[in-house]
Amino acid sequence: MSEATLRRTAKRRSSKLARSQARAAWGLSAPALIIMFVFMILPFFMAIFYSFTDRKLVVSAKKPTAFVAWDNYIKLFTNKTAKQAFFNTFEYTIILVPAVLVLATLLALLINRKAKGVTFFRMIYFSPQVVTMTVVTVIWGFFFSSTTDGLFNSILSFFGLPTQRWLQDANLAMPAIAIMSIWQCLGMQMIIVLGGLQYIPEELYEACTIDGANSWQQLIYLTIPQLKNTLVYVFISNTIYSLKMFTQVYMLTQGGPNHSTTTLVYLMYEEGFTNNRVGYTSAIAVVFFLMVLVISLIQNKVTGGDD
Amino acid sequence: MAVQNKARKTAVSAVFYVIYVAVAIVFIAPLVFLFVSSFKEETQLVSDMATLRAFIPYGNMTLDNYVQVFEKLDFLHYFRNSALNTVIQVFFGMFINAMMGYALGMLDFKGKNLLVSLMIALTIIPTEAVIINRFMVTFNLGLINTIWALAIPNLATPMYVFLFYQHYRGMPKELLEAAVIDGEGYTGIFFKIMTPLSKPIYATVAIMSFIRAWGDLLWPTLVTRDNTWRTLPQALRGLNDSVYTFWGQIFAFSAMITLPILIIFLIFQKQFVQSVAATGVKG
Repeated sequence: MSEATLRRTAKRRSSKLARSQARAAWGLSAPALIIMFVFMILPFFMAIFYSFTDRKLVVSAKKPTAFVAWDNYIKLFTNKTAKQAFFNTFEYTIILVPAVLVLATLLALLINRKAKGVTFFRMIYFSPQVVTMTVVTVIWGFFFSSTTDGLFNSILSFFGLPTQRWLQDANLAMPAIAIMSIWQCLGMQMIIVLGGLQYIPEELYEACTIDGANSWQQLIYLTIPQLKNTLVYVFISNTIYSLKMFTQVYMLTQGGPNHSTTTLVYLMYEEGFTNNRVGYTSAIAVVFFLMVLVISLIQNKVTGGDD
Repeated sequence: MAVQNKARKTAVSAVFYVIYVAVAIVFIAPLVFLFVSSFKEETQLVSDMATLRAFIPYGNMTLDNYVQVFEKLDFLHYFRNSALNTVIQVFFGMFINAMMGYALGMLDFKGKNLLVSLMIALTIIPTEAVIINRFMVTFNLGLINTIWALAIPNLATPMYVFLFYQHYRGMPKELLEAAVIDGEGYTGIFFKIMTPLSKPIYATVAIMSFIRAWGDLLWPTLVTRDNTWRTLPQALRGLNDSVYTFWGQIFAFSAMITLPILIIFLIFQKQFVQSVAATGVKG
């Protein structure tokens, strides 16, 4: 065989390989792609489309769906309940996120020691994460009992403080739900920060000690800056997680009292399923998506997008 | 001096342990309460509520609450629904996402970069944001009130595809080339060679989707019409929502939902912790 023939055979074989590679790749990706297309991408574009219509969940023959331009969005930003839902979601987020960020970092620093039993304690701290949220709400709902002999009320009385109505108090319901949620997710966030801590090279600490830095300076000038990406990740992922809050409200308060715990996702559930308004719900969905998008873009910007 | 130093070290260490235990109590107490209360009689349970006795197993501990739960509703039916839904989502979901992650991470083909970008873009869309329209699609496909409505939409998750993609991208290409020379097809390589080498990442994704599937309440609420396919969290909500609240029964039911996942957690705790670390970022 001449060299040219050899080269041609090799080329043919490699293009055949490339083709079979492409076939396999698309074949392997197909199931995931199809499901994502049908149950994510299609609904996403439906949401955008319906948000400009007065589409109902059950369309009546008498009143076909009509184009309403920006009406749903205008309603979303002027309606009292909707404004309340934005505010409540914001309130929940602003309680949960800073608390989780600080407490998770503190716990991670505390537990980041090579000592006997540390893994055992880590496991204990993590355990609430595996408890289903519905069960968490049942337990904590009992603790938050509004009667005077409820657990938290007894603690308050013990310290001579007045008892509270907790979940039935419009001012306290959301903070109470936030505290419960912090308890559930804290251990997991601690493990994430711990993961970040363990990436910091030991030599940096040694250098710090040689330079005569005390532990406080070490924390401020070495640990926190080195943890930046992890902390940004915890901050962002918890913000998005808070914006999605639903189960707690659905189980405990159904948005009440007085709409004080109606979150964005709960509002979507209520408007879409109870009130049949798909157009309006879709507008909420689009705004909700834009909020998450902006937050994700901020994360990319801050962490330099290198992850 | 050395003795003093040692004494100081021991003291510091003791302080740490005191803090560890105190924090542990905060995290574990509600769970202890749940299991302890599930064995208590209704009157005792309520009268214990105000004190630390709520966390202590004492008095007349019985299985009555459990018996009553079984008499009141078909626990095993809901358990079967939840278990089936979870197993389908975990098992098939794992492979569906891994297959795509492998294709994106190890194979070369036209459109690959576009698909990777698409996956990253899709991780941003929260399921909750499209839920009403996802329901409409599911409804129009005629899947409402079937096990397929519960499971299928959750089988593909952009985040998991992305995790698998990152994992497979880090695998040595020589492995692939060697297998190709041996005459193995690209799909065969995935199942026979790559999957056995990737157990940790499979465990990670399996654990994450297990927790999600077992606890999900919103989606099952939307797509079930009657008790045929209702899941455990839904049944618990029904029990919690009824006119007369029997706390003992609610706690017994909750304990039975929690126990399976708690056992799995205790067996695989190392993987659980790793799975969480994997979702984080370096530095």
